[in-house]
Amino acid sequence: MSTASAGLAKKMGYQNVRVYLDGEPAWAQAYLPTYATNNFVKNGNVVVIDIRPSHEAVEGRIKGAYSIPYEQLENRVDEIPRNAPVILYGNEEVMDAVEDLRDDGFKFVSLVKGGLKGWIKSGEAIETGPIYNTEIKWVRKLGKGEVSLDDFRKAASGEDKTAIIVDARTKDEVAELGIFKNTINIPLDEIPARMDELPKDKKIYIHCSTGARADMAYKELVKHGFNVKFLLLNIADATCDCEIIRP
Amino acid sequence: MPRRAMLNTLFACVLVSMISYGCAGHHDKKQVAEPKVSQVENKQEATYKGKVVGKSNKAKTISIEVGKGDAAKTVMLKFDEQTQGIDQAIKDHAVIITYVKKDIGLYAVSVKPKLAKLPDGVTEIKTEELAEYIEAGEDIYLVDSRPTSRYGQSHLPDAVSIPVPMLKDKKEALLPEDKNKLLIFYCGGPT
Repeated sequence: MSTASAGLAKKMGYQNVRVYLDGEPAWAQAYLPTYATNNFVKNGNVVVIDIRPSHEAVEGRIKGAYSIPYEQLENRVDEIPRNAPVILYGNEEVMDAVEDLRDDGFKFVSLVKGGLKGWIKSGEAIETGPIYNTEIKWVRKLGKGEVSLDDFRKAASGEDKTAIIVDARTKDEVAELGIFKNTINIPLDEIPARMDELPKDKKIYIHCSTGARADMAYKELVKHGFNVKFLLLNIADATCDCEIIRP
Repeated sequence: MPRRAMLNTLFACVLVSMISYGCAGHHDKKQVAEPKVSQVENKQEATYKGKVVGKSNKAKTISIEVGKGDAAKTVMLKFDEQTQGIDQAIKDHAVIITYVKKDIGLYAVSVKPKLAKLPDGVTEIKTEELAEYIEAGEDIYLVDSRPTSRYGQSHLPDAVSIPVPMLKDKKEALLPEDKNKLLIFYCGGPT
């Protein structure tokens, strides 16, 4: 993308055009600050965290922000959903918090431009007073091709007879760990050759152990006209809660 | 905390460890190879160029997105211990895969990173140099070429959002009047 834009600029006659090929991910990896837009802070599916001392958050904070003072961050880090875009603001300690979270493996950490002062200056809303929302609530929105856990459970329990489940794990994994009900095991690498075993008039939900292979199998089946979705979940996760036929 | 010292060390690590593959989702016409699978005969080597969608070591399978726009599709290939450079197959990185057709399906002979080609007269800038410009408040025009949603979530300090289609459409109206000003474009990098 950036090289295409640079080429366009060059054609328009700009003399000094350079490209930062490593891009935003490399910038974040180098622990340098990145910013979210105010619009994204307000309307995105995000977790906003005020990392200033709690009395400052009580005096005034971004509407909907959670309060985790920096000295509590290390102990409370597991309260923050790892797949959520996390947006922080605070005083001078805020870059340390960004570093800590990125170090801890959080991939989407950014800052509010100008902190709370910048927020207020741009005319955005704040709230004051005691903070009641201490438990961080965040629900990931389903991505393209993803099946919801509810729908998946209905297929696995047999309640939804219009869907079948494909388990894309290897035969060895199934032999060791068992398989869900109403499920056929077609290892990912066998899917291209065994596609004709699958019905075109039913919904197909694919799972594997974490979702990575299921995603690949999904793309392969979509291409061939199947009505298919995949489960992006570690099936060892307790929330899955589907009955397993043990070996 | 001696952040400056730490940053420098980190810069060094990042710079040493990073190789440029160009930007994910790159849609420059010249660089998108058409899938050539239909002409491939048995044992004859051919190549796919595109972004790695996924790799499974358990299934010994790699998926790569090839083609552009409506013609874009995901291709699945097998690999084994004989496949050269399989470590280069990193999710979202652009690669060139040489493959042959076998009974088991498409088989990857080798995987190489696809290096980005810069337009004539355009040079690359690395993290450290860019960070120095930004820190010093140099008079640069930094452009985020990704879709606006990605910019909204996380962008570099003082970057302007101009997705590629918008630049194609509005051209100079979005860029500084001074044609000698330093313009720096970035996007989502190799990951």
